Amino acid sequence: MLNAMRLRIIGRRLLHAVPVVVLSTFIVFGLLKLVPGDVAVTLAGDNASEQRIAEIRELYGLNQPFLVQYGAWLWKAVQGDLSTSLVSSEAVLTSIERCLPHTLLIVALALFTALVIGVPLGIAAAAKPGSWIDGIVMAIASLGVAVPNFWLGMLLVAFFSLQLNWLPATGAASLMKDPAAALSHAILPALALASGGIAEVARQLRSSLVEILSSQQVRTLHAKGLPPSSILWRHGLKNVAVNLLTVISLLANRMLAATVVVEAVFAIPGMGGLIVNAAMHRDFPVVQGVVFTMVLIVVTLNLLTDILYSVLDPRIAS
Amino acid sequence: MRVIDFGERTLRRREVLALLGGAAATGVLGLPRQALAAKNGGILKVAAPANPSSLDPATGGAGSDHSILWTIYDTLVEWDYDTLKPKPGLAKWSYPDPNTMVLDISEGIKFHDGTPLDAEAVKFNLDRNRSDQRSNVKPDLSSVDGVEVTGPLQVTLKLKNPDTALPAILSDRAGMMVSPTNIKALGNDTDRKPVGAGPWKFVRWNDNEIVVVARNENYWRKGRPFLDGIEFNIIPENATALRSVVAGQNDMAFQLPARLKPVIERAKDLKLVSSPTLYCIQVYFNYARAPLDNVKVRQAINFALDRDTFVKAALSGLGEPARMTLPSSHWAYAKDVAGTYPYDPEKAKKLLAEAGYKDGLEMTIGGYTDQDSVRRGEVIQDQLGKVGIKLKFTRGTIAEISAQFFAQEKKFDMLVSAWTGRPDPSMTYGLGFDKGAYYNAGRTADPELSKLIQESRASQDLNERAAVFAKIQRFTVEQALSAPLAFQYELDALSAKVKDFQPNLLGKPKFENISLG
Repeated sequence: MLNAMRLRIIGRRLLHAVPVVVLSTFIVFGLLKLVPGDVAVTLAGDNASEQRIAEIRELYGLNQPFLVQYGAWLWKAVQGDLSTSLVSSEAVLTSIERCLPHTLLIVALALFTALVIGVPLGIAAAAKPGSWIDGIVMAIASLGVAVPNFWLGMLLVAFFSLQLNWLPATGAASLMKDPAAALSHAILPALALASGGIAEVARQLRSSLVEILSSQQVRTLHAKGLPPSSILWRHGLKNVAVNLLTVISLLANRMLAATVVVEAVFAIPGMGGLIVNAAMHRDFPVVQGVVFTMVLIVVTLNLLTDILYSVLDPRIAS
Repeated sequence: MRVIDFGERTLRRREVLALLGGAAATGVLGLPRQALAAKNGGILKVAAPANPSSLDPATGGAGSDHSILWTIYDTLVEWDYDTLKPKPGLAKWSYPDPNTMVLDISEGIKFHDGTPLDAEAVKFNLDRNRSDQRSNVKPDLSSVDGVEVTGPLQVTLKLKNPDTALPAILSDRAGMMVSPTNIKALGNDTDRKPVGAGPWKFVRWNDNEIVVVARNENYWRKGRPFLDGIEFNIIPENATALRSVVAGQNDMAFQLPARLKPVIERAKDLKLVSSPTLYCIQVYFNYARAPLDNVKVRQAINFALDRDTFVKAALSGLGEPARMTLPSSHWAYAKDVAGTYPYDPEKAKKLLAEAGYKDGLEMTIGGYTDQDSVRRGEVIQDQLGKVGIKLKFTRGTIAEISAQFFAQEKKFDMLVSAWTGRPDPSMTYGLGFDKGAYYNAGRTADPELSKLIQESRASQDLNERAAVFAKIQRFTVEQALSAPLAFQYELDALSAKVKDFQPNLLGKPKFENISLG
């Protein structure tokens, strides 16, 4: 599978990732500096005086030129040191190591749910376009896209946690230490996050399947007397696999971003909460660390997608 | 005299507690053992609204830290829950002369690491707080000229000028005693590995997730604390915090907004606690420039604000209309200043006309984006609109908007925000209205006001001090240096098993009396 061609693609993509990481952290750093507000004010505390705020700027090097500050951060980051939080003094890497698994678990579970529910729905709708099944599936899909996930999250909590007392309403547990608790905490947020995904998968799958099933090629297969189920499974689905992969990849990226809201609703100590809290206080080492990590994850996801593309459709690789 | 009174009362209470503790241990009193045992033990799970800024009292800064800090650190001075009058804590204080303060430390107190909490330790702490580069409490102790050890359990503070706000200041961050051994060993790392002498010991802090403390078995107040430990689960989203209590995952959520009151009332087995606080929702003015440099405009705004309606509309009735920067239950409240601005839109219009704005005027105002702030802003906009003051609102995060108003930019004429209150009123007036103060956006002040703020720290007698504060309040109110609107009530949700929770005027919960039934 990993022939020379693919290795070259991987190598090139990894090289591309470097400017992406640098540029995105640079832009975020710039935005943080542009927006008014000052971490020195947070650090100086409730009884702050102008003089104390100035002292703190001096102490933490916050009054140094923009490029010097960014350069210092980047130089450390390259050496594997993501600095420490200016506000809470925790090592940024420690925070990320603790928060990332919570976020990844929810996103993975949400993605899984989106596929497990979305794919059958899409197939059912595409099998008989225009039928009542199709109508229902499309209605569900529209609803799934329209419903905000924080609202759905609250509904889920009201019913499954407060009413039935089946699942915890807030918080998270470590997947390593207590997998069962981690899963029980992740189910509701993942469901809330998955609603849009289910809709997306079902709709995209339906439209590409319908397109393929009505193509010249499939009509020929029909004419040859191939049973419809065989056409659907062997020819239809195989051909939409690339499309589906695109949807999954986009969805994963979008879900990573959407966790910010879901994590707030469920009080999950994940990456979303980390970056929101840090951005509020202009705690730039933490913001930078989170952006850095997220960019790496997205780049990796895209790379994986590209490799899978070339496996599914060798024409892409060439 | 008053101060000594408090000391005796506390001592007596302490003795009773010690007696009870001893009696329970030996069974002398013959009380049913279960009754006493039920008072002890259990882990209290609390939904805390914010991640601590630091667990070192000297280097932290957020007002939301206190509830957690008080579990780990005891303070040299404490206060009365209802009035915030200072009372002895780790130490008793006295002023042999106006420029000298003596602290007598209670005997036999040790930090969690076994270091004795004696005069040396107190001096170490006060010196560190006064001089450490990272100390945020330096300004609080600026009146202290030197700290001397004058006995094994006595330190004497030499003051640059008389400062009777010090007892209250020492009930805050500046009076939280940290273990010198720990500071010497860990330096900056003590931010995250704190050692104090409080009722609970630090166990764990995961940023934005949890802070855990466990019982200090050698706590100096015998029989205390009741709880084996406390878990602070950090949940900044109020509604989520409350849901966690409804679902039974947490036992308590505090500092909830008034709009959640119906939710608490509807929930089964939940107790609602609501009580007055110093948290003053107010409109800050930049009175260094036009149009707010004109006292008539400032007064007009104060006449135009219907505070009773504000409390109903913006706080669901859970608050007290604010007539000055202190609530009516505070010891320094000045009753005769309270009636200065009755709701009088006609008077407001007249004043505006006198100031040259007969046809009304437009002003810029900053506010925050959260639901409660927006609601407050809308009420203010409506009320001022009625007298011809059109407000142009800019909203953003607290960091963003408050920096634009208070720091160099000076972007708006006004800011709708709050003053969270301080243990001593002189801190409130000094930080908010004195010349050059950060929270005084215009940075200017009448020399008379500065003089009065100084004077408020000169007398030990609370009645005399209250009289000076009355003058200060008359000045700030008549000059309309701000527009106080309402004191927000504290709103807490507690599960039925939480016993003896007592709210305080500062609005930051202490857990010392709580037990789990």
